Amino acid sequence: MTTLRIEQVSRTFPARHGNAPTRALEPTDLIIGNNDFVTILGPSGCGKSTLLRIVAGLDRPTSGRVTLDGREVTGPGADRGMVFQSYTLFPWLTVRENIAFGLRERGVPEGERNKVADAFIRQVGLSGFENHWPKQLSGGMQQRTAIARALANDPKILLLDEPFGALDNQTRALMQEMLLGIWERDQKTVLFVTHDIEEAIFLGSRVIVMSARPGRIKAEINVDLPHPRSYKIKTTPEFVQLKERLVEEIRTEALKVAEHA
Amino acid sequence: MIDHSDRLLMRPLDSVTSKQRVAYGLAFFVLFVALWSWATFGGHVSKTFLANPLTMVQEGYDLLAKQGFLFDIGMTIWRVVGGFALAAIIAVPLGVLMGAYKPVEAFLEPFVSFARYLPASAFIPLLILWAGIGELQKLLVIFIGSVFQVILMVAVTVGATRRDLVEAAYTLGASDRGIIRRVLLPSSAPEIAEILRLVLGWAWTYVIVAELIGSSSGIGHMITDSQALLNTGQIIFGIIVIGLIGLLSDFMFKAFNAWLFPWRLA
Ligand SMILES: Nc1ncnc2c1ncn2[C@@H]1O[C@H](COP(=O)(O)OP(=O)(O)OP(=O)(O)O)[C@@H](O)[C@H]1O
Ligand SMILES: [Mg+2]
Repeated sequence: MTTLRIEQVSRTFPARHGNAPTRALEPTDLIIGNNDFVTILGPSGCGKSTLLRIVAGLDRPTSGRVTLDGREVTGPGADRGMVFQSYTLFPWLTVRENIAFGLRERGVPEGERNKVADAFIRQVGLSGFENHWPKQLSGGMQQRTAIARALANDPKILLLDEPFGALDNQTRALMQEMLLGIWERDQKTVLFVTHDIEEAIFLGSRVIVMSARPGRIKAEINVDLPHPRSYKIKTTPEFVQLKERLVEEIRTEALKVAEHA
Repeated sequence: MIDHSDRLLMRPLDSVTSKQRVAYGLAFFVLFVALWSWATFGGHVSKTFLANPLTMVQEGYDLLAKQGFLFDIGMTIWRVVGGFALAAIIAVPLGVLMGAYKPVEAFLEPFVSFARYLPASAFIPLLILWAGIGELQKLLVIFIGSVFQVILMVAVTVGATRRDLVEAAYTLGASDRGIIRRVLLPSSAPEIAEILRLVLGWAWTYVIVAELIGSSSGIGHMITDSQALLNTGQIIFGIIVIGLIGLLSDFMFKAFNAWLFPWRLA
């Protein structure tokens, strides 16, 4: 059983070069239960990455705390896998070695390591590319490898920061189906950040809408669409209704950003 | 696509084929020898100051066949490689530590930056006092000339490792040691190899200077001897040999690096 608690977490970036301090995140509360798939939706610059980085332990909150199964998060660790907004595969390792990185760090022997890695390579549809370097992969393939790399470590919670943000629409839709398929089959606790409304609904069991800077949780919407979901669900009335609601929520936030800019 | 190929000989950053590359490279040497021949055979420069290419080749053959110049070449190579290896063994780990750990950097950086500007050749008289005119003195000149440069450049390279890769490794459960061994080192390794290649080139200039003063063997020693005899053919031959060895070692270093880091070229 996995429970992630975000309690009154805020983040202010200190002033620099005469600029005023940046309040990136207002005190935020969020509880994510076992095998939840929570998507965080918000306009650019609202502190989504900041929140995710704090959960990952890569950044420290200015106030509040994050606990995973009762233990406070004080730094990064293998129990919280992360897929980044940018491409972060190790360029000197092949696809298989990238995926096995965490296992190797834990001292898993090579044979076993490769078995696990190859299983994940099949899951994300990269069979035949085991020995390719990251440079030889397309953006979508790189992010699939990054997802496999995080999953191979068997983390308690998977954190994804706009992993498909840089991909074209068709690829993005395929990747969403792939990720959801993995989640439906294996069950995982997932926190997924995006600024794409359809993506947030399609993937999430719960959508958290964040407000424009300074970021805070503005609304929380349950997505009661049945699983397994296929891309066809995106045209059902229920989906469209949810989408309209979220569009309204996000629009007001985006307008605020535009006015301040 | 815009095709300019029929309009221009070259465009910014356009690549050349490997055949063209070789041809262009050779063309320069041909031009160089042609100019040299014109200046010497044409009588535009006095024989005393500059030997013509033919005399140079004859003198070179004489050096190699009769005066044991191969031994001198061997001595020089051994000194460069020895002094340089010594410097690399100490400088690379220190540089990695400095790049990885900011307190170590803060501790060493000011001194190393200062020492980097000390000209190795200025140490020669001092080193002769300390270590005599034996091999140790020559190795030390090269060592001093290389070690600080390598430390500093390696430190900068390691310090510039992509932060997102380090963070990714942390979220995969890497320990601090794991970060150094499995992220900082492999990501900087090609750059470090390039640094070593570069500094090895500089080491060649130090060794010749070290051999010009107080030495009884080596290419630099031969050059001083030839100067006393006004034998410019031998001097030029010596210089060309240095250039050729440098070219060869550079080529081998490059090939070795390409073999060592296939992921860069993929
Ligand atoms: N290291 C930092 N130093 C100072 N300010 C920062 C830093 N990181 C983020 N910020 C600021 O905090 C705010 C939130 O940034 P964050 O990256 O969390 O946004 P985001 O919601 O992930 O945006 P996007 O969708 O564009 O990725 C921004 O205004 C940004 O300028
Ligand atoms: Mg972001």
